[in-house]
Formats: sequence, C-alpha cells, structure tokens
Amino acid sequence: MSTDESAAAAPATPVLEAWEVFRREKDGDPMRHGGSVMAPDAELAIHYARELYGRRQESVRLWVVRRDDILDLDDPDLLQPPLDRSFKKPGGYVMRDKLAAAREQSGQAKPKARSK
Amino acid sequence: MTATAALPTTALAGLLLAMADDEFVIGFSDSEWTGIAPLLEEDVAMSSLAQDEIGHAAALYGLLAELTATDPDAIAYDREPGEYRHCRLLDHGRGDWAMTIARRYLYDTADSVRLDALVGGSWTPLAELVGKLVREERYHLMHAGTWLDRLARTDGEARDRLLAALADLGPDAATVFTPLPDEPALLDAGIIAADSAELERRWRAAIAPTFGRLDLPMPPAAREPERGRQDHGQEFRWLWGEFTMVRRSDPGAIW
Repeated sequence: MSTDESAAAAPATPVLEAWEVFRREKDGDPMRHGGSVMAPDAELAIHYARELYGRRQESVRLWVVRRDDILDLDDPDLLQPPLDRSFKKPGGYVMRDKLAAAREQSGQAKPKARSK
Repeated sequence: MTATAALPTTALAGLLLAMADDEFVIGFSDSEWTGIAPLLEEDVAMSSLAQDEIGHAAALYGLLAELTATDPDAIAYDREPGEYRHCRLLDHGRGDWAMTIARRYLYDTADSVRLDALVGGSWTPLAELVGKLVREERYHLMHAGTWLDRLARTDGEARDRLLAALADLGPDAATVFTPLPDEPALLDAGIIAADSAELERRWRAAIAPTFGRLDLPMPPAAREPERGRQDHGQEFRWLWGEFTMVRRSDPGAIW
C-alpha cells in the first residue's frame, strides 16, 4: 500500500505524547514519581494513569504532567560544581578528613567505639 | 437482613440472573481486546474494565447461588446458550473499536440507571453490593463517555464507524430494560424502586443530552421487547463456546 493510499484510508493518527505520573501511596506521604504513560491528550492521559497507577488501590492521589511541560535542568556546572560545597550542607563541613589529619599530627589513635 | 418470609425468591433470582449474565457476557466479550486494543495503555484500560465486569458477575452469581443453594460456577458455565438471560444488546459481538465503544456506552448508561434504582433496596445483600458496584461503574461511564465523544467528533472514518455501530445496535439497546419475570413482586417487596418502563424512560432522559450534543441518532424502541433476553443468536453461541471451552474439557474437575 502506498503512503498516499494509507493517508486517504485512515484519519490523521493522533500524536501520542508522554505524560509523567506522580502518585501518593497513602495520606501524608509525599507525591512520588510513579512512571509514565503515552496518550494523545490530557483526558486519556488521566484515564491511563488511573489504569496503570491506581486501579489496584495503590494510590490515593495522582498528578499527571505532560512531559514537555516539565522544566528540565541537568547542567552539571549548576548542579555538580567541581569545588567542595560541603559547607553549604545542613551538616556543615565534612570533618572526617580534618580530624584524621589532626590525629595523625598529634599521634593519637582513632578513638574506638564506646563499649557501652 | 430482612425477613425471608416475604422475599419473592423467584422474581429476585430472575433479577440477579439477568444482571449477572449481562455483566458476564460484556466482560467476557470486551476481554477479547486484550493484546489487540488500539494502543498499549488502552489495552490495559479495556482489559481492566472487562475484569471489573467479570468481578461484578461473580459477585451477583454468588448472591444468586446463596439464594437458590446452588454453585455459582455451575450457573455461570453449565447452562446451554439458550438459558442465558443477558439482554440482546450484548449478543452483538465486539466488532470494531467503534462497535465496542457504542455497545459499552449504551450498556453502561443503562446499567447505571438500573443500579441507581437498586441502591437502598429492601434486600440488604443486593443493596450493599450495588453500593459498591455503583462506585466502580462511575469510572466505566467516564471511559465510555470519553471514547464516544472523540469518535463522534472525529469526522470521517471514526464518526462513520460509530454511526454504523449505533445503527446496528440501536434496535437492541433498550433490551436492557426487558421486563423481568414477575417484576411487580420485586416492586412490592421494595427490592427495586421502579419498573422497567420507568427505568427505560430515565435512561433515555439521561443519554438524550449527550446524543443531542454529538448529533447522534437516539436508539429506537426495542424490537420484540418482550423477548429481549431470549433468542440469543449465532454470535453468542460462538462466545459461549469460547467461555465454556475449558470447563467443558474436563467436567467436574476441581481447579
């Protein structure tokens, strides 16, 4: 069958898009990414999300987002800069290496875990 | 549970059998789309709907078996094709996708009207079950409505096929409301809130806005309405052969 014939015989094929599905497993839980579905529009995306991520009572809420609407950021210069950024972490500096160096300098052994 | 003394057992059994056979036949027929639906997600959706209906049938056969002290599997599988009491609408095979959607839309809207008339009925086991079925059927209605809408609004092959399916199914659509044997007894006992004629009026009123908006022809009055749950034709005989095949291959086997 030529492409012209098939184009005449069939209506325009709907373009399938990817939709990302987030789900809440039980009240109080955060929304977590569950997976994705392919669907031609938002209405069927909701249906399919329900079928694939909710029909076994495994979710109490779903969010369905068109993948193209997600703002994507994966630039390593912004997310994984090469310098030590541990001072920006809630726990502060990583002390392990500094403590080890200080112990070595003073000749003390690493303290053992408390026995009690 | 209400006093069984006044329970119209025969009439109630007829109601349960009609409902169970409806759910069983459409569930089995729609399950034929598993693996061949228009897209993978729809395949999962249609298979899941079909499973729901088989589950509803199992629950209804279970009530019937308790009421009549019989075996639900025997009711489901061991009858001859002529003994099934599903409506003639469901004798139409799944056909193409438009046919399946049209059949499902007509049946689900009618089933929903029937279920609404059973909510709060006097026979507690059925009233309680119906309360659960109604919640699951909500999604079925959404699914069928979504597809009816998109087929009707897509000019060309989609709409043409839908119109052909509706023309084919139309004269059998109202057979869901075939009067049940001894229906007055069900009304008197408060098991169902309205008779079949009233339910059909409610159904027509419920679907008329959608059919009007989508410019689709309303189903005509049922042909041979009094025999709407009998005379199952060749298409159902084929389906019956399919769904009883395993059971008949080794009668009495324990699975």
